[in-house]
Amino acid sequence: MQQAKKLLQEVGIEPERVEMFNIGASDAVLFARAADQMTESARRLGPNPLKKPRGEVK
Amino acid sequence: MIIAERKLFEQIWESIKDRKSVLILGCGTCVSVCQSGGEKEVGLLASELRMKSKLEGKEIKIEEATIERQCDKEFFDSIKDKAKEYDAILSMACGAGVQFSAEVLEPVVVIPALNTRFIGVTMDEGIWAERCRACGNCVLRDYGGICPITICAKSLVNGPCGGSKNGKCEASQEKDCAWVLIYNRLKKQNRLDELRRWAPLKDYTTQTHPGRYVNEAYRKPELEAKNVK
Repeated sequence: MQQAKKLLQEVGIEPERVEMFNIGASDAVLFARAADQMTESARRLGPNPLKKPRGEVK
Repeated sequence: MIIAERKLFEQIWESIKDRKSVLILGCGTCVSVCQSGGEKEVGLLASELRMKSKLEGKEIKIEEATIERQCDKEFFDSIKDKAKEYDAILSMACGAGVQFSAEVLEPVVVIPALNTRFIGVTMDEGIWAERCRACGNCVLRDYGGICPITICAKSLVNGPCGGSKNGKCEASQEKDCAWVLIYNRLKKQNRLDELRRWAPLKDYTTQTHPGRYVNEAYRKPELEAKNVK
């Protein structure tokens, strides 16, 4: 995961866009917390710069 | 095997950013084993470069291929024609592989993506250490299989020097003193008496470069071939 983050950073993409969580199948609370955390950081970081909005001329 | 490490991404990007199409060429032998230029590393670098070029708004066609070895011309057959279609080849081989690629694929531009470090061995997962300086005149027999030319910072053949302290080298406390290693090995082999002899000065004439070697079985055919020309 550290390596993946480093590669993204080298390219110029925020490393926080990728995270890994180890959550057991019965740990719904932890899963929800992780999903919230990822949603929050995605909102904060804004759209993925590699993805053009639909309809835009490429 | 030859140990190499990838250049900084920024350096690689600088070297290809003005190209229109680049083939990243991996090597399936040494650099695959030391995880710097094999098929997997080619894939990673290709992904990084594709993302970077998209972020920078550049249109660079980046493709991937890995051949068995970049130091044997037979293995280039599969990519030789295809290589001409690219602006540049980004070779993930050692220095020998990069030069040979440029020679075999001439006039295609070949750019190195790795820094070649040394001839070495695997110490642990992801850790490699130098073991041979390819001096061309092997003295391992005399030193219990530990090379003073490679392991000793001063390449002393009559050591140790005064900088050996607690089994470590004065050049770096992290490095073992080659001569302590040699002493301990010879002791285990009951050969300590061999350390009493003075070793003659090392003959470095074998290190003139560029080196060339022809297997004895091929010497005559090679001479004949030259005469024919």
